[in-house]
Amino acid sequence: MTNLEIGLWSFPALMVLIFLRVPIGLAMFVAGFVGITLLNGGSPNIALAKLKSESYGSFSNYSLSIVPMFLLMGHFATLGGLSQALFKAAEGWLGHRKGGVAMAAIGACAGFGSICGSSLATAATMSRVALPELRKYGYAGGFSTAALAAGGTLGILIPPSVVLVIYAILTEQNIAKLFLAAFIPGILAAVGYILTISIYVRVNPGSAGIRPRVPYAERFRALVAVWPVLVVFVAVVGGIYGGIFTPTEGAAVGALGTGLIAYLNGGLTWTTLGESFTVTARATAMIFFIVLGAGFYNGFLAQTQVPQELSNWVVTQGFSPMTVLTIILVFYLVFGCLMDSLSMILLTIPIFFPVVSALDFGMSPEHVAIWFGILVLIVVEVGLITPPVGMNLFIINAMDRSTPMIETYKAVMYFVASDIVRVIILVMFPAITLFLLP
Amino acid sequence: MHRTFLWLARVMAILGGITLCALILITCASIVGRTLNTVLHYDAVAGGVATWLLGLGIGPIKGDVELLEAGMAFTIFAFLPLAQMTNGHASVDIFTDWLPRRTRLVLRMVIEWVFAAALVVIAVQLNEGLASKARSGQTSLLLQFPVWWGYAGALLGATVTAVVSIYMAGVRTAEAATGRTLLADEQGADH
Repeated sequence: MTNLEIGLWSFPALMVLIFLRVPIGLAMFVAGFVGITLLNGGSPNIALAKLKSESYGSFSNYSLSIVPMFLLMGHFATLGGLSQALFKAAEGWLGHRKGGVAMAAIGACAGFGSICGSSLATAATMSRVALPELRKYGYAGGFSTAALAAGGTLGILIPPSVVLVIYAILTEQNIAKLFLAAFIPGILAAVGYILTISIYVRVNPGSAGIRPRVPYAERFRALVAVWPVLVVFVAVVGGIYGGIFTPTEGAAVGALGTGLIAYLNGGLTWTTLGESFTVTARATAMIFFIVLGAGFYNGFLAQTQVPQELSNWVVTQGFSPMTVLTIILVFYLVFGCLMDSLSMILLTIPIFFPVVSALDFGMSPEHVAIWFGILVLIVVEVGLITPPVGMNLFIINAMDRSTPMIETYKAVMYFVASDIVRVIILVMFPAITLFLLP
Repeated sequence: MHRTFLWLARVMAILGGITLCALILITCASIVGRTLNTVLHYDAVAGGVATWLLGLGIGPIKGDVELLEAGMAFTIFAFLPLAQMTNGHASVDIFTDWLPRRTRLVLRMVIEWVFAAALVVIAVQLNEGLASKARSGQTSLLLQFPVWWGYAGALLGATVTAVVSIYMAGVRTAEAATGRTLLADEQGADH
């Protein structure tokens, strides 16, 4: 076999492993290890030698250390009662409208997303706060869980975002610029979900109850109570853009800030601190093992020349850039139904990114990279709420056992439709994504 | 036995968490020091007090990035045993759900052994890396601490991870042999 053939055969081999329920990080690690061994005539020495520094190198990466810090920050924010405060404020202003409590949940998710880099954490924490309220005011089970699952994706669409950090490292782009570019699409997502809710309650009038108006004095009091969220967001995101500190330092500032808030609000005890550590540990370990496996596999793939050959082939075929982009995005939508977002990004970006970079979209290479990153971020996040294996759906359904999964599936399709409309708009008008960039 | 291993994994996770917090504090202190240093150097405020403060050595923490990187390697390796013990790794399970129960158990046993083998190889090679760094006497750029110290911290976590993964492979083997579920699946990892 030629090197190129070994590289191409590794795809089906990897897919078989993953579908046999081999953990994704391990599957990529094994495929990379075997692949490098085959490239070297069956000797594992090169692969073993690579491992001497590969694991230490991936785990001590300065940019990647953002990941555990953001995860800890999200947990501290929950302990500090910030999710509660956000929902209360949003509910005061929106709750009396038709479908208003669900809209408030979306608004609160967007607010929480601005201090949390993870979708599942946002979905889980907001569900704990908002689900009881939704049920209390007569919102249908499937509608409530679907709205929260969709709202959870705002955790990662609105910066800071763990997935964007990984994308930035893989494609060697500026993390701060990617965060900036994600801002308007993130707001659009929240607005889109709120519109979706207002359509849903008109199509299904029985799905939402009425909540009485809240007096303005109380509304303003609730709004004032969310000031810590604003302070942390401005400190972290402002500090990064202002060039006062690096994204990693920003994550440290955010973790310390939310930790202090949690402590001052009495949410941080030895028990909850230990719990924060174990939750952060599990999530971090999962992400970093995938990063390690993907690094190994991608190193192998680069050696086989598959990514370059593939991008050359696509360019010589003369497909229109938009066709190629559409195929890639549809691929992500389909695969997102099966795989988690981070694994997909780590697995596919090293292959797709050279292809997209080689095409002419009439923009600078940096703008293409950022625009493509935001589009990919959105389509992989849609995977979190698409049946059958949308992780957000599972997390929330596990909290609301009285709602059958099928009800959630039915209602969530409205939100998936809203996502697809947004992707089409962002593909047609790159300027929306690139607007804030200098 | 299970309790002991779970306890070990938790202790490692908490040690990793404490290290992470220390790194966060160092990073923040360094930002404060750097900012103050810049402010104090402005001519307008460079009075006696400013000179005195600068004389005390107010500034960024020397080698903060090196410390962060070395500490992070320990943190991540210390986090791994818990994910290993609690089935915390991401996988795709919709295609295996239709397999017969016994086949699923055997499949799982095989996967867990492959995982254990991979983690043992990772730990052994990390030890090799440590040895070569110790031989070369390579030190970090600013603080001049030997690079192998960072490797040693990582190796501690990697070793516990390897040990714990062998235990888990043993558990899955017992499950496949007896057909009984000894450990229920926990909720998927949060990310």
